[in-house]
Amino acid sequence: MEKEGKQSMRVENHPILGEAESQTVVTFTCDGKVMQGYEGEPIAMALRNAGVLVHRHTKKQDKPRGVFCAIGRCTDCVMVVDGIPNIRTCVTPLKEGMVVQTQYGHSEKKEA
Amino acid sequence: MNRYDVIVVGAGPAGLSAAIEAAKLGLKAIVFDENAKPGGQLFKQIHKFFGSKEHKAKVRGFKIGEELLQEASKNGVEVVLNAIVTGLYMDKEVTVKQDDKIVHYKGDTVIIATGASENMVPFEGWTLPGVIGAGAAQTMMNLHRTRPGEKVLMLGSGNVGLVVSYQLLQAGCEVAALVDAAPRVGGYGVHAAKVARCGVPFYLSHTIIKAEGTDCVTGVTIGEVDSSWKIIPGSEKHFDVDTICLAVGLSPMSQLAKMAGCEMEENPLKGGTVPICDEYGETSVKGIFVAGDVSGIEEASSAMIEGRIAGIAAARSLGYIDEEALKEKSKELEAALGSLRQGMFGPGSKGKEIIQTEEGYEISKSLLTKGYIAEDEIFRYPGVTKKTGLHPVIECSQNIPCNPCQDACRKGCIKIGENITSLPVVDQDSECTGCGLCVASCSGQCIFLVEDGIEEGYSAVTMPYEFLPLPRKGDMGAALDRSGTKVCEAEVLEVRVAKAFDHTNLLTIKVPADMTMKARFYVGQEV
Repeated sequence: MEKEGKQSMRVENHPILGEAESQTVVTFTCDGKVMQGYEGEPIAMALRNAGVLVHRHTKKQDKPRGVFCAIGRCTDCVMVVDGIPNIRTCVTPLKEGMVVQTQYGHSEKKEA
Repeated sequence: MNRYDVIVVGAGPAGLSAAIEAAKLGLKAIVFDENAKPGGQLFKQIHKFFGSKEHKAKVRGFKIGEELLQEASKNGVEVVLNAIVTGLYMDKEVTVKQDDKIVHYKGDTVIIATGASENMVPFEGWTLPGVIGAGAAQTMMNLHRTRPGEKVLMLGSGNVGLVVSYQLLQAGCEVAALVDAAPRVGGYGVHAAKVARCGVPFYLSHTIIKAEGTDCVTGVTIGEVDSSWKIIPGSEKHFDVDTICLAVGLSPMSQLAKMAGCEMEENPLKGGTVPICDEYGETSVKGIFVAGDVSGIEEASSAMIEGRIAGIAAARSLGYIDEEALKEKSKELEAALGSLRQGMFGPGSKGKEIIQTEEGYEISKSLLTKGYIAEDEIFRYPGVTKKTGLHPVIECSQNIPCNPCQDACRKGCIKIGENITSLPVVDQDSECTGCGLCVASCSGQCIFLVEDGIEEGYSAVTMPYEFLPLPRKGDMGAALDRSGTKVCEAEVLEVRVAKAFDHTNLLTIKVPADMTMKARFYVGQEV
């Protein structure tokens, strides 16, 4: 995908899995920035390929968190998606036009 | 309320196998799984499995997953996805969260096959983005074709840590180091050896001191531990990495069994709190069975057999078959399970230091501490013979339940015998045709073909090769020894790709004669 540039972490050709199948590219935003990913892939994968690692900041100590288990168990990767907080981005499929936001505590707003 | 003869929780290898067997015997079976796709962790397993034919040895995990799904659908097993089983109550009432609703089901029997969750280990900075579970790395690269990072440090030398390190290399990541606090490599030596010969350094008796970085991981510091697990001052080592992978074991997810009132035990050999069950997987609550990692951490191969046994036992418990049929049907499965549990990595050997094989060969100390067999140790094993003509060199040095190499050789050159864990013996008198099937059949990638004197002063070494780009005939590069150190120049003589090899390509290189027993990997010249 051209817009991902050199940060892309895609494995296009794999010694065991072979060539990647062609995918439908969709556009979404993360904190207002326009990004692209593959339709149906977990949001977190599209973000990783766009160079986004920090998904949220903890409520009490404002510590950054990202993907940890990648299978929907640990909930460390939750973000605000289409206005709804606590969405597990590692298991939620990416759709065209999604609005993804870094989560601070429980909302997209950084608390003072 | 919806009633089923058997409700299976978890559509991984154990759960699917259980439902298949139950359905075959006429039970109305349903499987719930919280994930969007079935198969549990099988579809992330891109390596060839161990065992023998009945365990689907030398078949890659994801292929086994596809076969299981086909078998399930053929037998009319209903698999419901995105369905989280939230409770298991009296009289086997099961509550399932589906589409933000709680739906009630009633099972005449219930098979819990919920698997396991990854353990973690805290250290300074462990919550930073970039610190991930080894399972996460597998999920990202093998399912979603996304490398978790450019440069990775792996913590944990069990089979998961070793296999995932290798898969990271296959996906094009750099593995900076493989670290384990234990003094010895925990997983199969053959898994370690294939990582070590790629040049990944092993740091045993080391652990992570801290993950560095403000917003995400930019580096890691490890240190050596003494016998009381304390860091030895001055032993600190730093690596520039963007990812830290944790492969520090698994814990059974046995909460549902506990909730159902099954008698539980705390069993470190099984990985944590597990329900007590009989040989068929039946817990203290009649009609509730367990199968797979939930009843004790093992391999997917054993989970599938346990699942099949539980499925048959559920049929017996409802009277679909009689006691005689249960015994008859489970006999073969119990035998297959028994053979998988043999050897020095079997449940009976957990935590023990093993200094020699069943046959009495001394275990390589270098393999256990550095990940590869040292040159002065290699000739002690019966698969390693000195012969000038073309012959296989089998660097298999531990008793693990695996025997595809024996079946691969049509000339009868390789013998393991009845005991599946025995080390393969190379018969020096048998003729090797160089077909390479043994090389590709070895899930541990520890078989090489060597031939001395292909021309004056040169030998040929054929090795399994599962990386891209695939070298081409005539390419010049370097041969690496078992430790991943460049030892000489090498010319690619042949690259064999065949369907029968299943993506384990055979790479033949030409090396100076004194390198025959050293050269074990190849890297092309940097462009």
